[in-house]
Amino acid sequence: MAKTILAVDDSASIRQMVAFTLKGAGYEVIEAVDGQDALDKANIHKVNLVLTDINMPRMDGLKLLELLRKLAHYKTVPILMLTTESGDEIKAKGRAAGATGWLVKPFDPKRLLEVIGKVIG
Amino acid sequence: MAEKQSIEDQIKNQMVDTLVPEDQSGVLCTAEADEYFMGIKGELNQIDRLVSDAVNNLVINFRYISKLTKSHHDMVLAIEKMAAPEGSKPILELLDKQMDIAGRIEQELEMAITSLQFGDLVTQLLAHTTHQVEILNIELQRIDRQGNWKKKVGEESLHTIHEGISKAVDVAKIKSKRKPVVQQGMQMGDIELF
Repeated sequence: MAKTILAVDDSASIRQMVAFTLKGAGYEVIEAVDGQDALDKANIHKVNLVLTDINMPRMDGLKLLELLRKLAHYKTVPILMLTTESGDEIKAKGRAAGATGWLVKPFDPKRLLEVIGKVIG
Repeated sequence: MAEKQSIEDQIKNQMVDTLVPEDQSGVLCTAEADEYFMGIKGELNQIDRLVSDAVNNLVINFRYISKLTKSHHDMVLAIEKMAAPEGSKPILELLDKQMDIAGRIEQELEMAITSLQFGDLVTQLLAHTTHQVEILNIELQRIDRQGNWKKKVGEESLHTIHEGISKAVDVAKIKSKRKPVVQQGMQMGDIELF
């Protein structure tokens, strides 16, 4: 059975590029437009990995990460941050909140698949 | 000598008066400045709309080309299977070349995925710049409303305006959010697993 990935980004083009890459590799993809939308969808679908942006309206990626880690199912599910942000301070915040990894945009499809393969097997 | 000094002062004051236009409500060009800043904001929004439109079109083109490439790839495979048992060498060679071309197009498309993310970076930078312009406008208006420059005359008035502008810029810098994009090109970003 294909593993499901929740892709969260307020940019439609990024969501489409992520979905294109992941679906091409055989993953199922659920898309969310911001942190709130992602949280709602994560409660309905028990996904195997979350790939989230940080700067988004309504709820940002760090808040989403923090709230997901409080849910029983998402305590151990890998959560990768895919963002334009690369500062040490914000990375440290993400790490402290329970992020599994940090990917700086723009992503390379091959490398993205390698990282996802590494964290969810 | 005193007369000469007085004339120089008059000329200086006239120059300052022309540099400090005052509108009827006694504020320093607030309406004009506001209109100017609104103009900048409008232009930034226009850039964002143009970039978003271009990105949407490029993504549609990308997906279509990708679909066609896959169809082409599948078709070449099917023809190869049909021709394989007794297919002539030149035909099989042509099919191999077709497969090679299809593979190279797929590789190029993969590379395009990285470049096509530029829209997101541009949109974030434009939003950041718009925010900075808004803050500067608000700060300039606030300092203008305080109206300290009105209590001064001549050069002192000009000096107070310069001070006010510097203060507005300083406050705007403090209030500005962290720049969300530091990338200078579209090369792949760093990856770190914790």
